[in-house]
Amino acid sequence: MKKFNGTDKPWDLTSLPTTEVPKGSVPHAPTDDQCFLGSENIPEAPKLQEAVATIKNWFRASSLNVLAFGTGCGAIELRPLSTSRFDMSRFGITGAPTPRQSNVFIISGYLSTKTLKRAIRSYEQMPNPKWVVALGSCTINGGMYWDSYNTIKVLDLYMPVDVYISGCMPRPEALLAGFDYLMTDIKKGEANGWHHYLENLNWYRENQKQVINDWDLPEYSW
Amino acid sequence: MSIFDYSSHEGFDVMHDGGVDRTRAIPNAGTEVDSREVQLWFGPQHPGITGNMSVQVWLKGDTIQRGITHVGYLHRGFEKLMERRKFIQSFPIVCRMCVAETDTTEYLLASSLEELSGLDQDVPEKAKWIRTLVMEMSRLQVMLMVLGGQVGTMGLGTAPNWTYTLRDFLLDSFEELTGGRVYHMYITYGGVRRDLPLGFGQRLEKTLEVIEERLPYLDDLILNSAVFQKRAKGVGVVPSEWADELGITGPPLRAMGVASDIRRDYPYLKYPELDFKVITAEGSDIYARTEVRRHEISESISIIRQCLQMMPHEGKFCAKLPNMMTWTIPAGMTYTRAESSRGEMGFMMVTDGSDKIRRVHLRGPSYTNAITVLERMLPGTNIADLSALMVSLQTCPPEIER
Amino acid sequence: MFKINDKTQWDDGSGQVIDELKARFGDHPVHFQRDDLARVQIPQKDLLPVLSWLRGDTPFVQLTHMTAIDWMEEGEFELVYLVTAPTLLTSLMICIRVDREKAQAETVFNLWLHAETYEQEINEMFGIDFPGSPRQGVPFILEAWKDIPPMRRDFDTVEYCARTHPERPGREHQDTRKYVGRKFGEKGFLK
Repeated sequence: MKKFNGTDKPWDLTSLPTTEVPKGSVPHAPTDDQCFLGSENIPEAPKLQEAVATIKNWFRASSLNVLAFGTGCGAIELRPLSTSRFDMSRFGITGAPTPRQSNVFIISGYLSTKTLKRAIRSYEQMPNPKWVVALGSCTINGGMYWDSYNTIKVLDLYMPVDVYISGCMPRPEALLAGFDYLMTDIKKGEANGWHHYLENLNWYRENQKQVINDWDLPEYSW
Repeated sequence: MSIFDYSSHEGFDVMHDGGVDRTRAIPNAGTEVDSREVQLWFGPQHPGITGNMSVQVWLKGDTIQRGITHVGYLHRGFEKLMERRKFIQSFPIVCRMCVAETDTTEYLLASSLEELSGLDQDVPEKAKWIRTLVMEMSRLQVMLMVLGGQVGTMGLGTAPNWTYTLRDFLLDSFEELTGGRVYHMYITYGGVRRDLPLGFGQRLEKTLEVIEERLPYLDDLILNSAVFQKRAKGVGVVPSEWADELGITGPPLRAMGVASDIRRDYPYLKYPELDFKVITAEGSDIYARTEVRRHEISESISIIRQCLQMMPHEGKFCAKLPNMMTWTIPAGMTYTRAESSRGEMGFMMVTDGSDKIRRVHLRGPSYTNAITVLERMLPGTNIADLSALMVSLQTCPPEIER
Repeated sequence: MFKINDKTQWDDGSGQVIDELKARFGDHPVHFQRDDLARVQIPQKDLLPVLSWLRGDTPFVQLTHMTAIDWMEEGEFELVYLVTAPTLLTSLMICIRVDREKAQAETVFNLWLHAETYEQEINEMFGIDFPGSPRQGVPFILEAWKDIPPMRRDFDTVEYCARTHPERPGREHQDTRKYVGRKFGEKGFLK
């Protein structure tokens, strides 16, 4: 075994780095009162409730369940939405067969007074939070059935609407744009129609009882 | 017989489990099981209902004892509205009488008022060809939708996805031609609204080729599938004595073996010059009606091809119309009929010499199919077959209550 | 009001049926609308005899359609029954006039089962009674309707809407000519 000789290479002990750090050569970690932005630009940590609310809204917007109720004409363009050409499930939108498991109620067009009663019952059976998407001009001011004795003219008086999508009937792409609008609103925390409904329930009930003559629904359809 | 002997004459899923013989099928539930009668609303909010109507059924176990159809959820008072509109303003209303198949009602409105006003002599040849083409395209897309929807109600999800996409390609052609996917308002008095665009025939032919290429797969998936055959053969049989008593027309009538088709019996537009077969099937059950619809898809494709070939290239697409704001039609009463995908559709039209319609009444095939026929077929049906039965009778609520 | 045509233009079995109808039930005016459609006006008392004879003894076995028309200025309703012969491929419109004040007609439910739906709807929409027909008075299309039957000519649908369904404020009815004139000037008018 060869004896170690200090002058043999590469075991030249004089060229190994030492543990001493020369001044100014290595950047040191910032101390508590310094930041690369400057001490007056330190961002505030978000409050816990805001963070949780943002996360919850993001979850809600990413998994919309549409109630299976074809209330009017516009229901014919809801089936092509679920095919692979327009594909609503890439946004997380699916269909739900019962109001107890759904989020979104699409009012696809006009509402006759008979359907309005069933729509109110279905809407109230949906758990909160829930959103209403109204299609077409029939929901805004009656549309082409403005002089019909059986359709309601303004949907806003009977159910709170979050998004109006125009068209007669709206194309699937228009529906996707409307859903995108709804999802942005949900993430911002501004889609609160259900809240407005619960707060002003008496006002909504008065309007509903004005058009529905045989009112036999309970106080609130839980 | 030892427990390892699987070659029983009753089927190979023999499981002798402690003496219980599971080879026998469970008997008709509701007759041997003592359960009380339950009322169920197969209501307007339901994923399995066609449109927006409801059926109130009384059940014992799985078997329906009786049922009542409830309609009226889609009533807009069309006939009253049409009495207040000028003639040209009625087209958007008439479109929406049947949401899926919109061109048949437009044609009926145009033809009935043309007949009463004498304008039907002036409709140019090319317009008649274009009208035939548009009506057959509309028929084709509804047949595709119903074929997929039929098995969709039974749980097969692939076929509706395919047929709805194929239908979308046809709606693209409609959009190119008329501007709208679903509501076209293309057929008008005296002809059609605008001419066919250049190259429309070639693009439509490509769409038809795409559809035809997919049809054998649909056959394997639907008509040749053992599950569909088990669920559809012998189910939902409409007795043939009801054809005259209840005025059944369309695919339910053709599935009884009766070769009755308005395009053949009361020829209109250019159907006398076209070569097509009237499809019939035997059995009058859900399977027969599906067979009729599937073969009518092929017939429609062949009719569209003939139309594109035989259509004159030059020619006017619309007659010279009088001033639509002041057009009056002399008094008269007529009934025009057309073959929609569901059956015989007709308009009873009454005018009284003014510039508005006096009375118009749509004769819809679903009027008898959804209420009278369905209610008489419900006793004894399994609740799982109700949705499939309604789609096979093609109950369309908007035209029942207009 | 309608053109009367005395000549029988049909030489086949349908023409024979019309001749026999005239012979049996009186020489009522027959109007031939098309090759396959004719219209016969008969008095109300002959309705059931004519229809039962058509259903039982002639090829006209199918009831295709049934409708009602409101002739308010004459004080009458008109009921139209459209019967078809599938073997002869012709249709007949049998029309009767019913008094508007006491609107009542006989039911044909015993001849055709699906007439009950037609009669139910006519009862709801016009107010004509068909005693003996099942489901008379059962609401069919309208729910909890309190006004007069809506298809009558004296029912004003715009006034009903103004009374019952509130509208969204801000919708004004404009005169088209004035609006176009304001927007495009005089040149905007079409000559």
